[in-house]
Amino acid sequence: MNTLRIRRFIVLGLLPSVVIYALFVFVPVIWSAYYGFFNWKGIGAAKFIGFDNYVEVFKDPIFWRALKNNIIFVLASVLGQVPLALILAILLHKNSLLQRFLRSAVFMPMVLSAVVIGMIWQYIYHPQIGILNFLLDRLGLASWKLQWLSDSKIAIFSLIPPLIWSFVGLYLIIFISAFQNIPGDIHDAAKIDGATGARKMVSIILPMIWSTVQVAIVLCISGSLKSFDLVYIMTKGGPAHSTELLATYMYNSTFTSYRYGYGSAISTSIIAISLLFIGVSQWLMSRKTKTA
Amino acid sequence: MSNTAAAYSPAASHKAGRSGRKWRGAIFWTGLTVYGVLTLYPLFWLFISAFKTNMEFINRPFSLPETWQFENFTRAWTSSHMGRAFGNSVIVSLTSLALTLFISALASFVLARFRFRFKAWIMGFFVVGMLIPIHSTLVPLFILMKQLSLLNTYWALILPYVAFALPTAIFVLTAYLASIPKEMEEAAFIDGTGLWGVFLRIMLPISLPALSTVTILSFLHFWNDFSFALVFISKSSLKTLPLSIATFADGYQTDYSLTLAAMSIAVIPTIVVYLLFQEQVMKGMTAGAVKG
Repeated sequence: MNTLRIRRFIVLGLLPSVVIYALFVFVPVIWSAYYGFFNWKGIGAAKFIGFDNYVEVFKDPIFWRALKNNIIFVLASVLGQVPLALILAILLHKNSLLQRFLRSAVFMPMVLSAVVIGMIWQYIYHPQIGILNFLLDRLGLASWKLQWLSDSKIAIFSLIPPLIWSFVGLYLIIFISAFQNIPGDIHDAAKIDGATGARKMVSIILPMIWSTVQVAIVLCISGSLKSFDLVYIMTKGGPAHSTELLATYMYNSTFTSYRYGYGSAISTSIIAISLLFIGVSQWLMSRKTKTA
Repeated sequence: MSNTAAAYSPAASHKAGRSGRKWRGAIFWTGLTVYGVLTLYPLFWLFISAFKTNMEFINRPFSLPETWQFENFTRAWTSSHMGRAFGNSVIVSLTSLALTLFISALASFVLARFRFRFKAWIMGFFVVGMLIPIHSTLVPLFILMKQLSLLNTYWALILPYVAFALPTAIFVLTAYLASIPKEMEEAAFIDGTGLWGVFLRIMLPISLPALSTVTILSFLHFWNDFSFALVFISKSSLKTLPLSIATFADGYQTDYSLTLAAMSIAVIPTIVVYLLFQEQVMKGMTAGAVKG
């Protein structure tokens, strides 16, 4: 085989993926940083305004509110999904019929479209016809009935159960595969030392799967920063920006208020914030592992 | 730990452990079953509600339908142009899938089996893509699509879908291909098979397990996507399923049974795929997630 033909094959083989990926993932990221310097309504001439958009993002109270909501989502995922998934994984890691069935049930929402998930939960929360308020009525807890999605004080928290419901299965499966990767002789050694149940869990299993827990936390962070569909479907960021996330705010600024430049500046900020969050979390956890 | 274990008489601890274990077992299984039911309930509720009349849906949300309204489905299919949306989703998902599989397999073959300069760079280039929040590219992608006159065409969805599926696909496939012994293709080269022949006739069939992981992962992503369709498609004849049920629900807010039937139709393909390929779906998701 001559080297020229191999070289041509290498170039030809890589070309389609590199071109499509560069054009539709990489170029847009760089462009959004660039468009951030313009005042542009999407039509007509764009006006260069330097760092004005970025300064405005930095001073925009709604942007900070959106960031805070994203952080609420991150915390809810890390503190809600990871422990819940760990407990479920401990309970469901064997292969009995019921355990396999429950595993599938918990994982099921993962394959649904966020649109459907959002719409189902909209019906659950609906103030008049929703099954949650209906149930509270039936149980004689009518005073607990709330405007789950239209009360700006609680709407963001109402979004947390659907978030957890739809993603906990992923972490469950990740943890179960981590359990199954623990070699059998570790279990034998634990048995000989008399470590069983909770004790074995805390002092042997958990430290062994710690790196998987770290991966799960990073996934929670990046996943929560990516949330858009579910919230867009359920509240569109309202009422009064109370459930605005970075992504919904970017969408609303661009396609509802037609501020393309400002939307681009928000996009770039989201990328910077995501990388920062992931970087910091990785650094914190690697430090913890070293000292432990 | 080993001392305390030795201090117990094995027979006594065995007995005490058994009745305690029985109790714990009972609580454990009841708890888990309740959790399983809670987790499946929203979906079950969606399906039974889809067969109800509007009145029944509002007044008796928890009961089974009195008479099963199958015509909700036929009505949803015709009056909401479900069939068209379904067709669009099939076209877009399958084209994106075919493209993703072919070009990622080709790139992975090159990256896993050949040595050349810039290989590490190209791999790194694809890794970065996994950290970029998908929505942060919406604004610049919209502008790019507009300039290329691709808005409101199937390509406006297919190209970004493929681009965002590539990093994960390439990772899963390169990892798999790298584990195959070199002798496989050397024998073929000696027999006079060309590079394309080796790729098509040896590498593709061999990587079938990894390709099926990529297939499931990407299919679910393409089929369920909402945000790209929301931004790039405004022509109603081109709307995909998630987008069209979202807009349909906005338009027919009070025709609940119709909306619920439309949602059920949208959900059925993914649930069927999930039930048929459960193990593969779960493995695929974790492979995609952990690598990402």
